[in-house]
Amino acid sequence: MHEFKYAYPAYFYLVALAALLYFFYNLRKLWAASAGKPDPAVKINIGEFFINGLTFGIFQRRVFSRRFAYPALMHFLLAWGFFILFFATTVDFFVARGWFADFLPQLDTPWFASLNDTAGLMLIAGLLLALYRRMFSKPEKLPHDLFSGRGNFLGDSGIILFLLLLALGGFFAEAARLAVYQPPAVEYSWIGYPLSALFPVSSWRQFELILWWFHALSALLFIALLPLTKMFHILAALVNVALTNRQLRGRLRPMFVSRLMEDPEADLENISLGVSRSREFRRKQLLDAIACTECARCTTVCPANTTGKPLSPMKIMTDIREHLYAGQFGNGEQKDLVGATITETELWSCTTCGACMAECPVLNEHVPAIVDMRRYLVLSEGKPPEQASESLEKTLSTGNPWGLPKSNRLKWATDAGLDIPVFSEKKKADVLYWVGCAGAYDPLNQQVAVSMIRIFEAAGVDYAVLGTEESCTGDSARRLGEEYLFETMALQNIDTLNRYEFEVIVTPCPHCFNTLKNEYPAFDGNYRVMHHSEFISELISAGKLSPDKTLSGRVTYHDACYLGRHNQIYSAPRNVLGKLLKTEGGFTELPRHHADSFCCGAGGGNMWHDIEAGSRMNVNRIEEVMHSGADTVATACSFCLIMLDDALKIKGQEDTLKVLYIAQVVADSLPASRK
Amino acid sequence: MKSCVLIKQVPDGDSPVVIADDQVSLKSAGISWTTNETDSYALEEALLLKEAHGGEVVVCTIGKDSALQVVKDALAKGADRGIFITDPQFDHLDSYGKAAIFAQVLKAENFDLIFSGLQSDNSSNAQTGLILAEFLGTAHATMVIGTEWVDDSKIKVNRELEAGWFRWTELDFPASLTIQSGINKPRYASLRGIMLMKKKPITTITSGDLKMDEIPTLSRIKKLYIPRKTKETVFISGSPEEIVTQLTDKLENEIKVL
Repeated sequence: MHEFKYAYPAYFYLVALAALLYFFYNLRKLWAASAGKPDPAVKINIGEFFINGLTFGIFQRRVFSRRFAYPALMHFLLAWGFFILFFATTVDFFVARGWFADFLPQLDTPWFASLNDTAGLMLIAGLLLALYRRMFSKPEKLPHDLFSGRGNFLGDSGIILFLLLLALGGFFAEAARLAVYQPPAVEYSWIGYPLSALFPVSSWRQFELILWWFHALSALLFIALLPLTKMFHILAALVNVALTNRQLRGRLRPMFVSRLMEDPEADLENISLGVSRSREFRRKQLLDAIACTECARCTTVCPANTTGKPLSPMKIMTDIREHLYAGQFGNGEQKDLVGATITETELWSCTTCGACMAECPVLNEHVPAIVDMRRYLVLSEGKPPEQASESLEKTLSTGNPWGLPKSNRLKWATDAGLDIPVFSEKKKADVLYWVGCAGAYDPLNQQVAVSMIRIFEAAGVDYAVLGTEESCTGDSARRLGEEYLFETMALQNIDTLNRYEFEVIVTPCPHCFNTLKNEYPAFDGNYRVMHHSEFISELISAGKLSPDKTLSGRVTYHDACYLGRHNQIYSAPRNVLGKLLKTEGGFTELPRHHADSFCCGAGGGNMWHDIEAGSRMNVNRIEEVMHSGADTVATACSFCLIMLDDALKIKGQEDTLKVLYIAQVVADSLPASRK
Repeated sequence: MKSCVLIKQVPDGDSPVVIADDQVSLKSAGISWTTNETDSYALEEALLLKEAHGGEVVVCTIGKDSALQVVKDALAKGADRGIFITDPQFDHLDSYGKAAIFAQVLKAENFDLIFSGLQSDNSSNAQTGLILAEFLGTAHATMVIGTEWVDDSKIKVNRELEAGWFRWTELDFPASLTIQSGINKPRYASLRGIMLMKKKPITTITSGDLKMDEIPTLSRIKKLYIPRKTKETVFISGSPEEIVTQLTDKLENEIKVL
């Protein structure tokens, strides 16, 4: 049947060999990641490797996103059309040589013929959808250079056109084969067969060989060029997702500064603190950059980018990659990445909200990469954002970023006429109530702190606070790249916490929560930590709290980044609200909710400085709340409370809309008889 | 160019002010200590000049044990070495006494420029840099809000006068400059700087090292107290002539300011 092929085996194999050699040669791009630093925390787990590879690589779970339905469909058609045809070609290669012939279908086996034609159509449909996006609809953030761009051979559209030529050529080669050899059950090739009927057999016979060679050579050329084009992501993304440690993903890695400072061998003159060049990243971070497919989903959902700030998480990834390739394959002479291609303002625009990471189909970690470069700016260069440097210095001297006296840390309670138990006297309690700097010093959050006490008292909880012994957890400092200050705060707090006996730490602030729960264990601070929404939800379920008033009006909820995206706590605050909503108005979700939530603008230390460019994130968010028709927006984050309240004032909506903390909503609904 | 920066440790502006039992000092409990604000600008100016034109920056303070921290902070920001003058005898000195000690310690160093903050945040005398210049017999300029390098023997400085006026002056080395805040943007201490600081020399000097029989002082604090806030508003009514008569009477006889 395929006897014509064997008329030219030598040429074919020679070209195929050359294509494969060039393909493998360019796999060095993948190997470039080895220029990075080893990551001692990451051990490759074979089970996870295969599960991740299958889930996020072969089945591309993250491609299917609610917000990116069109590209999801496009990619599904393209990828699965491609996979099936790749499988079919491999099978045909085996069958033609008589290998495993008893087990494998032939190209003309009816079901296989229908499947392959369907796959070809899927591929073409996917390619057309892709071309339409790149050449006509042009989504604002999506790169659409025709034949060049960011080091990709054949650019954004060229490689798509090439694949289209390959797929169409395949159909024509198939039609010629069907016309010339008339295999049995030919009608199952439901596209190739009707196509073959369009021209007389004599014409097909004349062009059959040419069409076969055209398809064969274009396929080999595609293989040869694949690593140089955007299609390299087929391999790079697969390797990247398989090697991802999903427990650590998005978490900032400790530098263990205090160990470094005590190390007598440390070369202080040349020590690298943070990252300013691509090879100072961990290997996996470089692999992230290599795997970036430039789909621009990160940039599309980035709140900084959305509000006109000069940050594109995708650009961060591609800049790292270009810097890496220039160093590995270029002339070697390299400028720093930070301050040259990546500006300081880009880095400081990030609120570390994690929206980019939540959307990234190839599981890249943009935020830790950005913080690593911030670490360089702060730890090596001493250049935090100008406005934030005072907060950092104050955090060190007074233990809180507001710089208010440490001795006033319990003033909120005495001002409210509360006499609350402190650990320095009580030594032991079931619950350690972590008030947080905002609760202690910010007037709005002081009301939350008082609400928490009312809830503890009403539920008969055995609690105590650290009072003046509590210090900032170091969340903002760490995200501003000030790892030394973070570690100083962490070690000090851990030392304090370890002196007392308690079952659980409860805190209303997701930033304190995240730091205590996820970041202190690296410094031997292992505690059970609960966000107040989880704790209150449990109290209500256990019947220890019985709210007797219902919420009036329509209520909505603003998901805080460090509660939702960074800690997957979505239902606890909604459960609490649900239990307080009996009849009136009801609950309404904002258009951007759960993992799609939009940052208030204060994360990542951006509470303490402003980026001049663009509009304000908190205003963007409050406008969304205003359009939702809600009268009350509940939140569960100290910074969100401040930012949303500010936004209300900017919009002059103080009389029509309320911003309330979950704790306040609960405390207000308790029977009035209790204090 | 060899320069010295005088720095002082002061209570942070938000610290609680509680007068100690001796009635001449503050209770240290609850106070968080920091570098005097204008001294940070003075240090930054010295560092910027060093970075541009070479030389050495030495930081010097007089203070209690805790004041060593401001020397370390300055070394972390880039100063080359520190001189820490400490002795219980020096705890309550006035500007004159401190300047006398600085003069004794710094004389042999032959600094080209001595920088200090315009004034301290806690005692606000604005004297030390000037008296020191007199002791050392050098030129001096106060309220410096800008500098311009001339050559290895002189510098131009912009002094802030009153009512929004400024004046450029040229000074020959050696000179003492007291620096106004806002002249530059003080830097943040990097971790690299903090690590390098640990290798930088700090010389500690106590009263025994000084060839001074007696520390001269011209003033001393008798008593510290929190000012009492009183508010008495009196409305004067009548014709303009009557108001003026009543007002001058009050200013002359009741408040006694005329």
